[in-house]
Formats: sequence, C-alpha cells, structure tokens
Amino acid sequence: MAISNLNSFLEDYFTAHHCKILNNENGLLQIQLTEEMDKALMNRPFYWHYIKKMGHPGDPMQLTLRTNPTHPDPKGEKIHFGSPRLQQILNHLKNNERFTKLFQRVQATTNTALHPWLVTNIKISYIGKQKKDELFSLGLNLVNGVMKSEMMEQLNQIDLQAAISDYCYTISPLIKVESGFNRIKTVLDDYLQNQEHHWATESLKELKKEIELLKHFYHDQTEQEEVRIQKEIEEITDRYHPKIEVSVINGGIFYLKPEFHHIEKK
Amino acid sequence: MNNITINYDSTFISNLQNSLEKDGPFSSWELFNMAYQAEQTTMTKEFYGLRALEFLPNIEFLPHQIDTAKQAIELMNGRAILADEVGLGKTIEAGLILKEYMIRGLVKKALILVPASLVNQWVKELNEKFYIPAVAHRKNYNWDQYEIVVSSIDTAKRDPHREAILDIDYDFLLIDEAHKLKNHKTKNYEFVRSLKKKYCLLLTATPVQNKLIEIFNLVSILKPGHLGNYDSFVQQYGKDRKKINQDIYLKQLIQKVMVRNTRHGTSLNNAKRHIETVWVDFSEEEQEVYRQLDTTVQPFSTFSKITFLREICSSREACYLSLQKLANNDNQDYLKPIIEKIEQLPHHAKAEKVVELIKQIGDEKVIIFTEYRASQLYLQWYLQQHGITSVPFRGGFKRRKKDWMRQLFKDRAQVLIATEAGGEGINLQFCNYMINYDLPWNPMRLEQRIGRIHRYGQEKDVHIYNFAIKGTVEEHIMKLLYEKINLFEQVIGHLDDILAELEIKDLETEIQSIFNDSSSTGEAKIKLDNLTSIISNTHNTEHEEQQQYGNI
Repeated sequence: MAISNLNSFLEDYFTAHHCKILNNENGLLQIQLTEEMDKALMNRPFYWHYIKKMGHPGDPMQLTLRTNPTHPDPKGEKIHFGSPRLQQILNHLKNNERFTKLFQRVQATTNTALHPWLVTNIKISYIGKQKKDELFSLGLNLVNGVMKSEMMEQLNQIDLQAAISDYCYTISPLIKVESGFNRIKTVLDDYLQNQEHHWATESLKELKKEIELLKHFYHDQTEQEEVRIQKEIEEITDRYHPKIEVSVINGGIFYLKPEFHHIEKK
Repeated sequence: MNNITINYDSTFISNLQNSLEKDGPFSSWELFNMAYQAEQTTMTKEFYGLRALEFLPNIEFLPHQIDTAKQAIELMNGRAILADEVGLGKTIEAGLILKEYMIRGLVKKALILVPASLVNQWVKELNEKFYIPAVAHRKNYNWDQYEIVVSSIDTAKRDPHREAILDIDYDFLLIDEAHKLKNHKTKNYEFVRSLKKKYCLLLTATPVQNKLIEIFNLVSILKPGHLGNYDSFVQQYGKDRKKINQDIYLKQLIQKVMVRNTRHGTSLNNAKRHIETVWVDFSEEEQEVYRQLDTTVQPFSTFSKITFLREICSSREACYLSLQKLANNDNQDYLKPIIEKIEQLPHHAKAEKVVELIKQIGDEKVIIFTEYRASQLYLQWYLQQHGITSVPFRGGFKRRKKDWMRQLFKDRAQVLIATEAGGEGINLQFCNYMINYDLPWNPMRLEQRIGRIHRYGQEKDVHIYNFAIKGTVEEHIMKLLYEKINLFEQVIGHLDDILAELEIKDLETEIQSIFNDSSSTGEAKIKLDNLTSIISNTHNTEHEEQQQYGNI
C-alpha cells in the first residue's frame, strides 16, 4: 500500500487539504494553495506576518508540480521520490495526521450499534550494525477485546467519515483506551521476545571485538588516555549496541459495525 | 534478547487521550491513511541494500561508486577511508553514504570538514545532487543550529569553535583531504581524534604515498587498535612503506577499513584523453632575445637565468617584469639592452598559435593554463583583440569570485585562463578542451590540471594540447620529462609513490637544481635524462607491487 502513483497521491493530498486543482494532465499538476497550505509548504513566514499586520487577507501561491519527468512543458517543480518537496509533504503528513476519530458509514433504517476500536499503526525499528523497520497496523475492539492485524488494509474496504450516520449509536468501551494500548504492547512484546535476533548477536560480536581492539591500542593507561578510552567506548556502544524502537505512527478510535471482524484479510 | 534495549513510544497514547477528551482536532480518513502510506513509502524494509538509489533518480552512479558505498556501510559499518584516485568521484560516494544513513534515520547531525576552498562546492553538491540540506558555517552561526554543517578544519579547530564542536555528539563526521592528518602529533590530528562521532569517512587520494605510520594514524582515527598500538606497530613493521606489499596480513587489515578504486579498474575510461604536443617556433627576433638571455645573463645566479628563460618562453610581459624588477633593484645597466629588445618584440609566437588553435576548435569551451600571471593578462588582452571572450581564474581568488568566474565561463565566455590548477579547485566537466600554454615542471600538477576536466561527470573525450617552443628549455622538459617516460599515459598515477620511493620531495625543485648546477645545456640534458631513467625504472618494478595493493 506504499505510494505507487505519485500523481494521484498528490492530487488526493491537495484535495484533502481543500486546495483547488487547476490543471492535471500528463503528470503536470497545477494547484491553487489555500492559506493554510501556503504556510505549511512555501516557507515564507515573513510574507504572512507582514500581510496580516497590514490587514490584508494575503494571496496564497500556486504550485506547479511535475511528476512526469518527460513532460514536454519544462515549467513546474520536478517532484519524485527523494525530492525535497515530496519529503516536505510526507513529513507534513506524518507530523499532522497522528490522531483520528472516525465512524463507519452505514445506510441504516433501524437502530445500529457501532463498536469502538483502538487502531494503532506501529513502526518497529531494529537498530544494530544496520537498521531495518517493520510496520504493523493493529486494532483492538474495546468492547470484546478482539485484536486484529492489518487493520488499515481492512479499513480501506469500508467507507469512513467524521460524523456518525443516521440511526447509529456507539457502544461505550469496556476497555479503557490506555489499557487497550497496554494489551497491544503486550502482544508486541511477545512478538519481539519470540524472535531470533541474529542481527543483535552480530552487532554484539562486533561491539566486543572493537572494544578488545581498543584495549590493545591503549596499553599504558594514563589519565588522559582513560578519558579517550571512555569516549571511544561510548562511540562503539552507540554504533553497535542493539536497540529496538517502537514508535506509533498514528492511531485513533474507529466506530465500526459488529460484523467488522468478519472482513477477510486480503 | 536480554542485551537489546527496547524503547517504547510513551507519549502517543496520552496525546491521543488528550485529543479524545477535547474532541479534536482529528484527521480525516484520507489524510490519516496517507500518513500511513507515507510511512510505508519511507520505511526501510531490509538491513542491507542502498535505499538512497531510489531517492536519487537524477544521479547516474557508476558501478564502482555504488560498490564503494555498500562496502563502507555494510562491511565497514560506516567507518572507512575512501581512497579513490583523483576524479573517480569520492564526493559522490561520500554523499551517497551520508544520504543512505539519513534515509535510514541513523544520521541527523553531521560535520563535514573540507579545505576552505572547497566548502561552497561541497555545500552545493550535497544540496543540489543529494538533497542534503547542508550549510556552510558562517561566523555568527551556532554549531548546533544546523544539522549538517560544512566547514574548514582550520576554522573548526580554533577557539571558540573548538569547544562548541567538541560538545556535540556527531552521528557522522567526514574529513576531505584526510592525508593532511597523517601526523599524529599535529593539532589537526589531535582535534579530529577528540571529536565525538558515530560514523566517520576519511577521504584521501594519496594513501599509498604515505609512510606506513601515516596509514596507521589514519586507521587509528576510525578504529583504534585495528592495526595494533603505536609501539607494537612500529616494532613489527617499522616505518617502511614497502612492508605493505610484503605483508599480506597487514594488507588485508588495511583493506578492511579502506576502499581504493583506480582509474584502471573502473568504467571511467569511457571518456578518453587525447593528448597532443604542439610545437611552436620562435620568431627570429624572439630567438635572438632568448639566445642573448642564455648567454649574457651570466653575472647573476643560474637560478634567475632559468627563470627568465622559462618566462620568455611564456610571454614578453612575464620576462620583462622580472628583468625590470631586477634592474630597478640592483641598478644593473647591462640588462638595459635586453630589456629594450624585449620591449620591441612583436606578438609572442605561442599566443598566435593559441588563437589559431582556438579558431580551429570552433565554438567549444577551452581552458588555458599558464604558469605566469603576466602571461595570463597578456593572453586575455590578446584573445580579446581577436574577438575571443575569456575570463581569468587564479588560486588567490576568494571563493565567491571563483564560483562567479566559473559561472561566467559556463554561461558567457569561451575561454578560461587559469594560472593555478590549485589541485583542490573547481570542477569544469562541461569543458573538454585544454591548452597547457606552458608546462609545469612537476607532472603531478599537470595531472591536477587535467583532472579538472577529465573526471567523473565528463561525458565527452577530452583534448589536451601541450605547448612547447622548439630549441628552448621547454623542449628539454617536454622531450625528456614528459615524452620519454610516457608520463601522460601510465606513470602519472604512480608518480607520487615513485618519488617517495626515490626520496625526492619535489620534482620541480629537483629539476630546478639540475639546471642550476649544470654548467652547460648539454650537462643539464644528461642529468635530466638520468633522472627520467630512474623514474621509469622504479615505475616498472613498483608497478607490479601496486597492482596487488589497489583494489579489494
């Protein structure tokens, strides 16, 4: 589900931020920014400060992005994976879209109950000599304690909205958000404990080896050398000591129909 | 598992609860989902491989550059000496490595120490090519204000910068031209050793010329103890550089922390060098002045004499200025007739040849190198007379002026006239014609000149024209030094090693003294001949050893 079509991703991004798409053809995307997006992306705080002081509403800029490098029209900023602009947009997303509360859209004529789910998207980073990440999307039904993985994939198959649908009501959670999160943590803990961490073993081996070399290097230990050795040991530890970092990308409460956990995983 | 530190994100859940209590603000489903996609796109799924390659579609990396980056990261764990020959793209390799670490989130804070003349170029390349937001250090900046800072080592090591820098834990330290750190007793070395760093790259083009102990010192910055301690090392290997080739074990150890690519082993051979000697004849009047200088200038030292002879081969102006200076200082009347003759000389034979050649080359950009500033000025004027636009370039220009001149040359002028290659100067890959208006006596300097255009990024063949005037000192140098030992073709890359082997510190001084100490041109010729024989001999024996040493 990583971004595959950059052009439509950007179109969705700006549309979701209420920007008008002025032009979109053959990989050339022209956008009229809103004030909010101008402030977020165009890096001109002085302009906005000044214009507001003068009592003007301000004039948000237009942005032209070129996702198709072979587009005949050379105007616009080239944008691709790794380009500063895309980096900025992705960071803007990651920093701002952290919390949510959403309701499943339901066409109901009779009263329908919606169950609260705690959904968390979690990144696990394994950091030793090298580093890699894993991403999990976990959901916990706060009424009956059912836990599901690959939540985002399944949520993508239903319609979600910010307000509750007619004839729907929510069931109060029996599990508090905080203890729900602790259950998720326990599951992750189990997962981490039950893995073979070869990468960590390798790193520790390297760590030991370099510290031994170090001791061989400084043989007559003066006070000054002692300080040096300490510094080198810290550096080696910093570089090789295996760490696992568990961070939450984003998450929130989702109110879903009771049938939700029958949705098949892809 | 017990040895692994696990950190859980502790703030998320309380922040979520806060938002729930305040009932907002909440993300829409679209944006929430996109943030997840953003993470999926930027996360690193594997321990190995270079993700940076997907992020930098605009750079065409050469295979050896990718291999080098992989080796430095995956086998050397981020501490390495990058020792490619000049022009193979060490900067590109270093940029790729830094980028990879940044993408993986392993490097946030980086310090890049380079020669003062290269600061801007590094900043530019990192920003434009690698999208790494590097900034040059400026007087009033705090060292912790920016994440990626480029500075010269001389600035960095001075107070009050020194203290500030030593306080920072750097994730990444890069030192360009690291061979300057070879001596462990210098302030620079001590400073670099004290820096707190995680990953570290040392860039140098000439590790092989170093004495063994200097390699030991470089390695000790990266991995203290890797080659043992100082005493045991000196005891075991002495200070003799040759040991590297004899001791397979030592060589393997060094190869664990050093990558060296040679022009020979890479695909850079694509852009070929076409080197041509252009013989020029003096006009009769010029010939006469040359002869007169050669014979009458006996009363003063031979040192000056050989200088004047070289100068007259370059331009009237160069020689005139030196003679005039001498005459003013010492009130030496016997110079007057020569000076007067020089004043009356017509245009210089070489300058005429330059114009002829440039017209032949057509609309292409051309770099002219000369040894003398007076010749530089003269050439600029002379070219202008013939409707050829040119800009000057000198080692002494301020950085900004250098950048500006380079830009002018790129956009406006046809010719750049430079006095000093400056080894660590500007890159001019957009140009592929070079005229060496007069030859330096140290072939390494010629190589540095050529390296300005024949380097990574040059797509066309490069054409080099070496000027020499027949029947003069230039002819000896050309025939004996350059042509005889076939310097252009093979030896050049190894010259440093050969000279170290022969314990010749500076070839230029060596040649200078040959001329000074010889009573006749014939004698000088024989001595020069001997020198070049020794050089090519040493090269042949050395060559085989070097081959084992180069690549991994």
